[in-house]
Amino acid sequence: MVLVLALGDLHIPHRAPDLPAKFKSMLVPGKIQHVICTGNVSIKEVHDYLKTVCSDLHITRGEYDVDSRYPETKTLTIGQFKLGICHGHQVIPWGDLDSLAMLQRQLDVDILVTGHTHQFTAYKHEAGVVINPGSATGAFSSITYDVNPSFVLMDIDGLRVVVYVYELIDGEVKVDKIDFKKTTTS
Amino acid sequence: MPETTSSRGGSHCYVELRGVQWRLGLGILPSSPSPSIDDLRRVTANYRRRYAALRKQLLVDPHVPKDGSNSPGVVMDNPLSQNPDSMWGRFFRNAELEKMVDQDLTRLYPETGSYFQTTGCQAMLRRILLLWCLSHPEYGYRQGMHELLAPLLYVLHVDVERLSEVEKSHKDHFADKFDGFTYHENGDSTYKLDFKKFDGSDSDKSSAKANNLTELDPVTQTIVLLSDPYGAESELGIVLSKKFMEHDAYSMFDALMSGAHGVVSMAEFFSPSPYGSSLTGFSPVIEASSAMYHLLSVVDSPLHTHLVELGVEPQYFSLRWLRVLFGREFSLEDLLLLWDEIFACDNTKCKKVEAEESSNCGVLDSPRGAFISAFAVSMILKLRASLLATGNATSCLQKLVNFPNDVNLEKLVAKAKSLQALAAEVNSLNSIMLVHNEVKPASARGHSLSLDSSSYPRTLLNVVPESYWEEKWRVLHNEEEHKQGVGKEEVPKIRKGWSERVKLRLSRTETDPPPLMKTVSIKLPEEPSSVIRSLFGSDENKENSVCDEVVEQQGSVEVADKKFGSGEIPLNFSDPPSPIHGLENSSVASNSSVDENEAESCGTHREGCPPVGVSAVSNGPPSEYDIQNDESTGKSVAGVKERSFSGKFLWLRKFEQNGVEGATCEGCDNSCESSKGETVDQNTMVSLRNLGEAMLENIQVIESVFETGSPENGKVTAMSALNELRKISNLLSQM
Repeated sequence: MVLVLALGDLHIPHRAPDLPAKFKSMLVPGKIQHVICTGNVSIKEVHDYLKTVCSDLHITRGEYDVDSRYPETKTLTIGQFKLGICHGHQVIPWGDLDSLAMLQRQLDVDILVTGHTHQFTAYKHEAGVVINPGSATGAFSSITYDVNPSFVLMDIDGLRVVVYVYELIDGEVKVDKIDFKKTTTS
Repeated sequence: MPETTSSRGGSHCYVELRGVQWRLGLGILPSSPSPSIDDLRRVTANYRRRYAALRKQLLVDPHVPKDGSNSPGVVMDNPLSQNPDSMWGRFFRNAELEKMVDQDLTRLYPETGSYFQTTGCQAMLRRILLLWCLSHPEYGYRQGMHELLAPLLYVLHVDVERLSEVEKSHKDHFADKFDGFTYHENGDSTYKLDFKKFDGSDSDKSSAKANNLTELDPVTQTIVLLSDPYGAESELGIVLSKKFMEHDAYSMFDALMSGAHGVVSMAEFFSPSPYGSSLTGFSPVIEASSAMYHLLSVVDSPLHTHLVELGVEPQYFSLRWLRVLFGREFSLEDLLLLWDEIFACDNTKCKKVEAEESSNCGVLDSPRGAFISAFAVSMILKLRASLLATGNATSCLQKLVNFPNDVNLEKLVAKAKSLQALAAEVNSLNSIMLVHNEVKPASARGHSLSLDSSSYPRTLLNVVPESYWEEKWRVLHNEEEHKQGVGKEEVPKIRKGWSERVKLRLSRTETDPPPLMKTVSIKLPEEPSSVIRSLFGSDENKENSVCDEVVEQQGSVEVADKKFGSGEIPLNFSDPPSPIHGLENSSVASNSSVDENEAESCGTHREGCPPVGVSAVSNGPPSEYDIQNDESTGKSVAGVKERSFSGKFLWLRKFEQNGVEGATCEGCDNSCESSKGETVDQNTMVSLRNLGEAMLENIQVIESVFETGSPENGKVTAMSALNELRKISNLLSQM
């Protein structure tokens, strides 16, 4: 019963002033055990804020991040799942599933979390799951129009992960749920 | 065969099985009428079912998918949902509670090898506590609840171990031999032989036992019967069952906390809010602590005064005692013995003459509560010597809090039992504390004469002039005078303490508490009594000796007096043998004296008191009486008024009643006539009010008599009450 928050591409303060208020009110400390950030938080203050939500923060480097010490990719294991994080601007074509699947095989992870496209996607293919939490602030993107703020909360429980997607559409938070079960072969 | 066991006397055959015995005592197993094994099994199965349902309902697994129709949708039910009703919200709240519970559980009997630290036991404890707190959200989880639960689980565990021992040594009764048994055509003789084959290595005697269940010793027999899987409700009904230990423990815990329709409910001790219909507005544990102190002051007044002087408030140490039922003060074995005693006490409210539905039951108002209170007092008494020796509050508290481990529990329990009756009496007495006495709020008990009844709004209590109380004392005093009380050593102690403080020249009578306590069913604050006593002591002697006695005796019971270091009662009253009984309604007095002489316990003869008190009230218009908080000044100031009041009182009495022996009254008259005139005007209104109150009391007495049926005494009391009413009406018509 591990709750993992996945978000990214905040671009604060360059492209957006802050997280939407409704998102902020939901992210209370104490409930979430891990935070995965795909990158482009841009400044240290946002990094600190994410730390207050949960102290276990994993972050990878996006092209606009001020702090250059973040790694390009990162892997971690939570419960029965191996997770991989990458910002995604390194993988071309941007947002292409096959290329991301290549990266996933390269990192040898069950769940790959990437960003950069500012658009939520969740693909399941035979090797695993690729999740893009979108942009938590709805920041401007040159490759996507009409960006809605969104982030992802994963509930990892044994061999099953439930992905809750929170999107802010027209001022309302919409939640969606996707179930993934890991096959025991891997 | 089960019938023979039960016919041997219900609960007694379970004496060695603490789990069952406690379940009987706590009320979850029916104890009366003598239940058959089947009844026990049925009840057991019922509460087990309830627990299982509760468990399923409350232990939330958010992953379990709800059926589609009920699903509130993901928007509501996601982990970050702010909605408090969502499954996730409940899950997180449960997680919080679990964290708190776990903190306590890890510290429960942490010695190595302790049963309580095993994972199985810890898991059970955690679940039980969690479920109880979830089903009683008004209490939440408080530290200490785990210590109440732990011994309950332990005794069940011990019983189950006992069961397995018995199973091992008496395999024949437990083995279901027939399942693999093949049929032999030869008939009975071969049949018996085959049994012997099954016995295997068992010696001859065990095979002999196999023939007849009744040949076993009673306890083993009971164990066998209680673990029979074929009785009513089959497996769910096995009274001694390892599988359902959690269910049993939960039910015991629930019964203990909620009081199981009795009075003492431990949950009350954990709640900070005032108990139900409590009049004092203090939390129950403080009420209980003060009741305990009250008992202490009755039993051992010097020690009580000493503690109060030092400022040692009862709840500092008794909070822990009461909340975990002395669990922290004794080792586990001793604690089990003590809880045996506590649970053996009945928990039903003390039967009292109830005149009003709104009468309150105090938080310790049952034999069980009385025992708890008495045991606490006996613990304090054990430390008497060292407590009296210390001069400061901190070390006193330290001594009380670090109760010595090597005490002889039997002695404490025996002492507690001896005090239990006294505690029950004390509990049932009404000691109204005027609100400004913040040190020890009185536990107001329901009583037929209770001024707490709905007809008396609480505010009125503060307004009632003290002289009203004085009248009552005087009445009581009069009839108490000629009472030959059983000398309780506590009373002399109380009286001595009183005299030390007050330094009165009054000498005391020989009459004694039991009749005193019975008669003092009237609530009287201490202050007036002390002042009156002082007055009486200082000037009037013979004339007011009657009053003195009333006061004195009143005081001996009115222990909850803060002003005078609570519980100290004037002792040295001059004691003229007064033919002053006649001051009272002689008929009333004789009635009540007859009543009181017959019995010691308060409960049955309280009816005798009211008319006495009432008559006093009806007779005297009280003078304005200002109770000064400062005793020294109060005495002198009030003294004057007191005198006039007493004079007037006596005068009026003489005026109304026949057979008043003139000596006292006349004497009073002479001294008081002069002062009488001054206070007449003030008194009229007050006296009218008092008369109203007196009438009401009489009516209550009569009602109570009717309620409790009518023993001979009751009729007499009712008659006397009617007489009083008549007198009051006469008085009113004269005004």
